[in-house]
Amino acid sequence: MSDQLSKQLSEQLQQLTQDLAHSEDADALYELQVRFLGKKGSITTLKRQMGKLAPEDRKAFGQAFNAVKVEAERAIDTRRDALVTAAREADLARHEDLSMPGEGEREVGTLHPITQTRRALEDIFARMGFAVREGPHIEDERYNFDKLNFQPGHPARDMQDTFFVRPRLDARLVLRTHTSPVQVRTMLAHEPPIRVVAPGTVFRKDDDATHSPMFHQLEGLFVDRHVTMADLKATLYRFVGEFFGEGLKVRLRPSYFPFVEPGAEVDMQCPFCRDDATGASKGCGLCKGTTWIEIAGSGMVHPNVFESCGIDPERYTGWAFGLGLDRMAMLKYAVTHLRLFFDGDVRFLEQFPC
Amino acid sequence: MLISLHWINELVTTEGQTPLDETDVAVALTELGLEVEATTRVGGGLEAIVVGEVRAKEAHPNADRLTAVTLFDGAEEIPVVCGATNLPEVGGKVAFAPVGTTLPNGLKIAAREVRGATSRGMICSEVELEIGPDGDGILILNATWSAGERLLDRVPGLQDVVFEIGVTPNRPDALGHVGVARDLGVRWSRTVRKDRLQGVEEWARVPVDAGLVQLEAPAACGRYRGFALESLAVRASPLWMRTRLHRVGLRPINNVVDVTNYVLAEYGQPQHVFDRDHLDGGAVVIRSARSDETMVTLDDSTLTLGASDLVIADASRPQALAGVMGGATSMVTDGSTRGLLEIAWFEPSGVRTSAKRHGLHTDSSHRFERQVDHGALLDAAAARALTLLQTLAGASVVGRCDVRGELPSAVEIRLRHSRLEGLLGVSVPPAEVSRILLGLGVECVVTGAGNTSVYLCVPPSFRPDLSLEVDLIEEVMRHVGLDAVPVDPVASTGAAAGALREPMYARAHALVDAFRELGFHEHIGFAFTGARELELLGGAAAVERAVQVANPLRSQHAFMRQSLLPSLLDAGALNRSRHGRHVALFELGRTYAWSDAPGAGSSVTAEIDRSLPTERLALSAVFVPSKQGPSTGARALVKVGLDALKRIGCTARTRPPEALDPHLHPGVQVALQASDGAGEWQVVGSVGELHPEICRAWDLPDSGRIFCVTLDVHAVPRADRGRHVPLPRFPSTSRDISIELPVHVPVSAAIEAFANVASARGTAAPDQPQISASDASGAEIEALEDYRGDGVPVGRKAMLFRLSYRAEARSVTDDEVQPLHEEIVAATILEFESKGWAPIRR
Repeated sequence: MSDQLSKQLSEQLQQLTQDLAHSEDADALYELQVRFLGKKGSITTLKRQMGKLAPEDRKAFGQAFNAVKVEAERAIDTRRDALVTAAREADLARHEDLSMPGEGEREVGTLHPITQTRRALEDIFARMGFAVREGPHIEDERYNFDKLNFQPGHPARDMQDTFFVRPRLDARLVLRTHTSPVQVRTMLAHEPPIRVVAPGTVFRKDDDATHSPMFHQLEGLFVDRHVTMADLKATLYRFVGEFFGEGLKVRLRPSYFPFVEPGAEVDMQCPFCRDDATGASKGCGLCKGTTWIEIAGSGMVHPNVFESCGIDPERYTGWAFGLGLDRMAMLKYAVTHLRLFFDGDVRFLEQFPC
Repeated sequence: MLISLHWINELVTTEGQTPLDETDVAVALTELGLEVEATTRVGGGLEAIVVGEVRAKEAHPNADRLTAVTLFDGAEEIPVVCGATNLPEVGGKVAFAPVGTTLPNGLKIAAREVRGATSRGMICSEVELEIGPDGDGILILNATWSAGERLLDRVPGLQDVVFEIGVTPNRPDALGHVGVARDLGVRWSRTVRKDRLQGVEEWARVPVDAGLVQLEAPAACGRYRGFALESLAVRASPLWMRTRLHRVGLRPINNVVDVTNYVLAEYGQPQHVFDRDHLDGGAVVIRSARSDETMVTLDDSTLTLGASDLVIADASRPQALAGVMGGATSMVTDGSTRGLLEIAWFEPSGVRTSAKRHGLHTDSSHRFERQVDHGALLDAAAARALTLLQTLAGASVVGRCDVRGELPSAVEIRLRHSRLEGLLGVSVPPAEVSRILLGLGVECVVTGAGNTSVYLCVPPSFRPDLSLEVDLIEEVMRHVGLDAVPVDPVASTGAAAGALREPMYARAHALVDAFRELGFHEHIGFAFTGARELELLGGAAAVERAVQVANPLRSQHAFMRQSLLPSLLDAGALNRSRHGRHVALFELGRTYAWSDAPGAGSSVTAEIDRSLPTERLALSAVFVPSKQGPSTGARALVKVGLDALKRIGCTARTRPPEALDPHLHPGVQVALQASDGAGEWQVVGSVGELHPEICRAWDLPDSGRIFCVTLDVHAVPRADRGRHVPLPRFPSTSRDISIELPVHVPVSAAIEAFANVASARGTAAPDQPQISASDASGAEIEALEDYRGDGVPVGRKAMLFRLSYRAEARSVTDDEVQPLHEEIVAATILEFESKGWAPIRR
């Protein structure tokens, strides 16, 4: 009886070993585990027959049973480990050619170069404490001209070719020729100190290779006590340094804009023909050999403008500047044709991913 | 404005002084605010040109039109073949370019055979020498000049540097060489030669002839000086004058007209000479034109005048449009002998109005509009003109008349040194301030010292732009130089008030980012549109509320846009014509329309704002598929619209449109709604397939492949995240139900009915199941399938819905939710029935 049971034990173990060799996955292993070692498993059930043995044989059989059970469990574990290892090796042997083009529908979109330029400038001025303000594109002449010290009937009005808008009420309306009406609106609504930049669309009746009837400006206005031309210069230096590159020189030249006095054009040193070693520009096609590139108009806010906006020019001084965002973008990205900005050709736009 | 360096040097350089250098002057002009736009060196090669004397001339043996000339160059007789028909007689003088000369136009003169005759050199015309406009014949020189003399010694200004400068509208003084010379003079501490600003006394001895000029419009004419001229001999001006006029872009006419142009270029003061024999009554009256009076100008166009035009008339008709142009009948011609010289001050805005109205912009009107001088400079210019007329045209001045109307009065300006330094941020010695102001012609008395100095100033009448303290500060700044201003940031007394951006623009900013992240390219299109586009996209109502540009560049730009689609579709069509790739574009921009409810409000700008049209910020996106590739479905754009709103923090959904968007296919469109998560749902835009008629209008494929999203940025709610929702602690379980419905029932409406039934039940106890977001999809109620075909009647669809449930405080099994599920399904089916959808549970 004892021998028979022992024989059955070793037969089952042998059977398990054989079956393990043919089991190829975790499910098969589980099935073997249940078949041999589960509650009703063929090995487990042998232990229940121990009661039938003579008492003196029971101890030896018990030991033999335990040994077989441990052996069986180890065999399953070993097989399981082997299967995991083999599967991992097989998985690692996979090869995909990822030099093929990527898949999926997701595309990289872009912001318009003028938007990127506008945002870059807004960020630069935001860090200097300037808030961003917008205003209407269709303006009353009083805000676009009169309050900015453009006298009616003065040739200064011809400096900006104006689109007029047919009004509904009794008013003289224009498509704003510059972002400067936002200066007026800001000063009318707020007490100094005022630090704002006003980016936006402007319109002039002009259409040729270098002019578009619609373009974009960014206006800066700083009004406070003791604001000087020297501060304007410092601000322009900082803007040019951050946007075009550190170390570029800035030059102011006297000029005339009715809403500032003194007024100045702002030139920056030409970055395109700058010699990195000496830091000097040599002159090139883009600066027409002058080593300077005109980037903005600027000046100290005219006392007439302050007065028309309810600010006491004896108490406060201020500066303002205005620059063309389209021009900044052209300079930044070396775009030579203004038209490209407004065509919407995706092959152009996608060149500006960030 | 063209400025001759030779002329400038003649004005500011006295004997013994070094002439101003080309480069220095160019730099100084720009630094003074007279920006040099171009510099041209003229007259290169002319040093070789000599006076040649015609010794003999005979017909060329082999060519009818050529003449064989024997020319004496002061040393020898030289054979020259010449094609001109105006060769002078023997003894006459011509400009001769000897062999070896390179003319200004680059032509190299060499000895050559011309049809068998030897020619050693060339007899030149003005055009070949680039000193005048006349190329019809050769240049005939003064017969008294000697053969062999260098032309350059006779006409010193032949070689010159011409600057083209930009003169801003505030600087009428710089519209003449004297004014420019004065500005430059201050830089080098030189003054304009006195002899050019005097000579006035001599002409004051001419007897007054009060009948010469009568002023009837004193408001429009501040001053009018008339001089009666006799014994004029009208002929060509001498070469030096013709050359100089040519250099500054003026065309020589005859000596009398040339003198007026010459003095205009020198002093910036326009003048005119009338042929007095052609003035009815021999005198002039300055008056308003009568309505419908006509006048023929000296360039032969007929003007119909009106009461706003100021004219210089004789006894019967207008003879000049004041300050703009003279008339044809009284213009000086070769036979004129008696003249009336006019030099005047006309009111600027009147001249401007007349010039604009008649579309005439002349050298004269340009200056009067900007305001000429009415004082010493006017008198000096008159004296200069009279002297030149006397010298060059033999004029004798027999009478004068000086009438005055209303003139601007001189202003006194108090300039505080402290203010000057405070505004510029630079320190300037008071003595330098005085030197600059005096040099510019400003009368200036200093009181106080140092930083407390005060300058009591009276600007000269030729600087009408100087009326405020700050104007004088600018003058000092121009001469001190902006390079002297340090780079010195001031410490602000406080930061700017308010948020970085206004809330709506902050949302717009975020939406733009969202569309970029969703793979669209940002486009910027023109804000203009045409009537056709307005009508196509918005019908008659759009035309009705359209904002119209009064003076558009072209008819397609005659209105302001009410939709961003036209320019996006233009771009779509342009891309399609250029390449085959798909196009995903979006634009953020404004639309413009008159609205019935004008913006109210009580802000300081409200009064102005009420008369303005309404501007709304919109965002549109367009998808045009590639020419070959598979088309995206409209639902891909629905996801773009929803995702964009989600990306800026809104909760978003689609709903059947309450009103159809006319630019979209009526059967393939949906409204986009958004909520801030707590508040009401807002309709914020639409998504759909572009209407086939619109596709056709833009020549785009109309087979349902172009899609667009449009958002009204104003309607997009401000995302306010609020408090977070706690995560579920127990798993969800779900039950499916299939219901047959008519095909026209939008799935969103069916889901909404389920949701209404569920929410009507209220919140369940923590241990009881209720409808809840699925662990698998995140949705409470999902539509899994829309089946049409076998087993479903035509016009009906079998919808498979999945509802998810969970209890807050414990796990629930499928069996436990079954009764609740049955209840909700039954109630929803009743709801469907009440809507007339005839639902059939399957």
